[in-house]
Amino acid sequence: MMKTLLKVEELHTHIGQYHILQGVSFEAREGEVSVLLGRNGAGKTTTLKTIMGLTPASKGTILFEDEDIKKRPTYVIANSGIGYVPEDQGIFADLTVEENMKVAMRKEDDATLARQEYVLDLFPDLKTFWKKDGGHLSGGQKQMLAMARAFVHESKLLLIDEPSKGLAPIVIEKVMEAITEMKKSTTIVLVEQNFFMASRIGDRYTLIDDGATVHAGAMKDLIQNEELKRKYLGIG
Amino acid sequence: MKRKFQLNHYLLVVIVLALVIFPFVSDSRTWTILLTQIFIFSILAMSYDILLGYTGIVSFGHAMFFGMGAYTTAVMLKRIEPTMGMFILSIGVGMLLAGLISFFIGLLTLRLKSHFFAMLTLAVSGLFLVLAEKWRTLTQGNDGFTFKAPEFFKDRVMFYLVALACLVLVYLFLRRFVNSPFGRVLVAVRENEQRTRSLGFNPLHYKVIASVVAGVIASLAGSLYAVSLRFVNTSVLTMDITLDALLMTIIGGVGTLIGPIVGAGVIELAQHYLSGLAKEYPIFERWIIFFGIVYILAVVFFPRGIVGTVREQIWKRKTKKDGSKPVPKKEVL
Amino acid sequence: MELLINLTINGLATGMLIFLLASGLTLIFGLMSVLNFAHGGLFAWGAYSGVWFYSLTGSFFLGILGAILTGAILGFITEKLIITPVYGNHVQQILITLGFMLVLTEMLKVVWGPNQIAAKVPPYLAGSYEFGDVLIIKYRLFIIFVGFLIFGIFQYMLQKTKIGLVVRAGVMNKEMVQALGINIKRVFLYVFMTGAALAALGGVLFAPYSGVIYAEMGFEFAILAFIVVVIGGMGSFSGSLSAAILVGLAGSYMAYYVPALSLAVNMMLMAIVLIFRPQGLFTAKG
Repeated sequence: MMKTLLKVEELHTHIGQYHILQGVSFEAREGEVSVLLGRNGAGKTTTLKTIMGLTPASKGTILFEDEDIKKRPTYVIANSGIGYVPEDQGIFADLTVEENMKVAMRKEDDATLARQEYVLDLFPDLKTFWKKDGGHLSGGQKQMLAMARAFVHESKLLLIDEPSKGLAPIVIEKVMEAITEMKKSTTIVLVEQNFFMASRIGDRYTLIDDGATVHAGAMKDLIQNEELKRKYLGIG
Repeated sequence: MKRKFQLNHYLLVVIVLALVIFPFVSDSRTWTILLTQIFIFSILAMSYDILLGYTGIVSFGHAMFFGMGAYTTAVMLKRIEPTMGMFILSIGVGMLLAGLISFFIGLLTLRLKSHFFAMLTLAVSGLFLVLAEKWRTLTQGNDGFTFKAPEFFKDRVMFYLVALACLVLVYLFLRRFVNSPFGRVLVAVRENEQRTRSLGFNPLHYKVIASVVAGVIASLAGSLYAVSLRFVNTSVLTMDITLDALLMTIIGGVGTLIGPIVGAGVIELAQHYLSGLAKEYPIFERWIIFFGIVYILAVVFFPRGIVGTVREQIWKRKTKKDGSKPVPKKEVL
Repeated sequence: MELLINLTINGLATGMLIFLLASGLTLIFGLMSVLNFAHGGLFAWGAYSGVWFYSLTGSFFLGILGAILTGAILGFITEKLIITPVYGNHVQQILITLGFMLVLTEMLKVVWGPNQIAAKVPPYLAGSYEFGDVLIIKYRLFIIFVGFLIFGIFQYMLQKTKIGLVVRAGVMNKEMVQALGINIKRVFLYVFMTGAALAALGGVLFAPYSGVIYAEMGFEFAILAFIVVVIGGMGSFSGSLSAAILVGLAGSYMAYYVPALSLAVNMMLMAIVLIFRPQGLFTAKG
């Protein structure tokens, strides 16, 4: 039995006057890829943001390694070992690729630099554009930079928000390869609309609808379950 | 509810009557002048609250309209003739000017975000100040000029009564204004501009009209102010005037009409007494510091000011007693 | 010719003083969307405290250091007491920083009295250089030199150091900076203190330049700094230098050729920029 690394229970989040999350629960087990699925606006992105402390939770618990991190500020959450790749990638447009990586590095010692080399081997394109401004990269390159940035430390957990969004199939393929490689050394929570991609790299799934968890289980069961797919994902 | 509503009204009527009788029973010249001053600044502060409290706009240029009224009246009484008719005409001209200018400035600037709007109003009112200082043939700059008030105002009491009448009229008008459907939309703009827009109201339209109303009334206050001093100089256009309005509104209570009046009273009275104390204790020469600090504390801890906080307490006590849930209240006082 | 050179030098010197005030303002705004209406008060405090230290120690250099220190301490107090309680609420922020401006200005009068105070140029910076027929006042050159020096140092720090990278990244996307494990509030506190120190430096340099200091000077310069921040683009450090020089030069030429319009021109410039190009003249991003 694999250990549970992250356990989210009955999460509620308000943004302004809007009650966005109304009871999201799921868990991420160590070494697995957990996929959050659901329609646009279901609350997947907000779930990730709430875990990161970017949109404060109003109710519920977020247990990371058995500690409740709900009230902690974002930087503390990040430093406790959670990497985050936002939906819009959050690239610093006027900084070069190198500088983008530098901002993410907490230290610049040999170990970190070696780690950076390893990460860059996953995304060789970045080395080619090392001195280019982040804002001038293509969508796929931005995605890779964002993932490299989040992975430059040995994060225990990576939260990745829709990495396939707006990318060409061939680029998606590269991103998937990278995630598969990253999975070997870390746990991943993935938000993904592209069911083909989700089904290929995901181990477990959680279906979110109208801000609440409606279904969860092993990915291979969902692949068989035409009814669930039609009802919540509009496919099949 | 109904009874409370009427009680408040009676209270107001009693206070107004007391103020009307006051100059006939007391022959204190100081008090007559001080109260007149309070009435005038109450009008200014109420007009400011239409922007700050009801519409949620921070303007640092309100002095511009106050000064416009003051100069219009002063210049017309001086250059044409110091009669009652001219006084009334000058008020009208000042209001018209203020209305036109606030309309155009509002149209151009109110689409900006709060920071930019605040800065821009600061700059535009600065422009008016520069204009007044440079146009010496008309304004005599910082030295200013004296002028004769209409014969009717020779008696200070008459002017006192006119100022009081203006205050009551402005109050009644603004109360109608903020309780009208139009006023409700203003509050909606303050609370959530996006949502107001999605309900089909154009926030810009409402903000512009609010700033016109505020500008016109500030101009009236300026006209009265000039006559009360029988003198005008560029100080009526300075940031100090805007700051006064701001302090009075925040300390008295934003988003209410009584609040600015209470604030004007508190600040004018305190200014009077503290500058009296200053003869013995020089620290009180800097009385404005106390208000600065009170103001900062108010912004952080009592954003509703005196009137808002008192109301809230009364409301809490009442709801505790009968156990009913608080209902969004109408502008009663 | 001499006139033109002198007007230019004068404009550059004023521009540098405005730049010192505006550079902090623009970074503070860029990083946390806080527009500090009390920034001019820090400028005035720099002037008063600097002149005080100068007269106390007899060293202009120590006066400058004293002003910078005063600015940094006041910056710390302002950030902790005034800005932190109202993070995120723009209307409250505008109101409270303006109130603090009032308190700062009045406190000056409490400490040093309400009258103007004379400030002298230190002997080694007094007098002027002669280049052929042209006389150039030394102290003005000194201000310009300090201005460019500060710009150089900070530009280097912003471009080449880790903290500079973090500040620039924070201006672009502060959520992401936090998600990468950086405590942006602490970074912001440092930036705020640095900005306050720069404003104070501007103040103390202004003192011998104008010859007298007075409490309201903070407010007058703050308006110019706002204009510069708007023209230069919110959050743009180099933009604020270009805009400050522009405003300084415009003020200087106008004051000579069309004195009636000198202040008005800058304000009109700002109004036009705000209405037609609110992101600033010197920012590339549209």
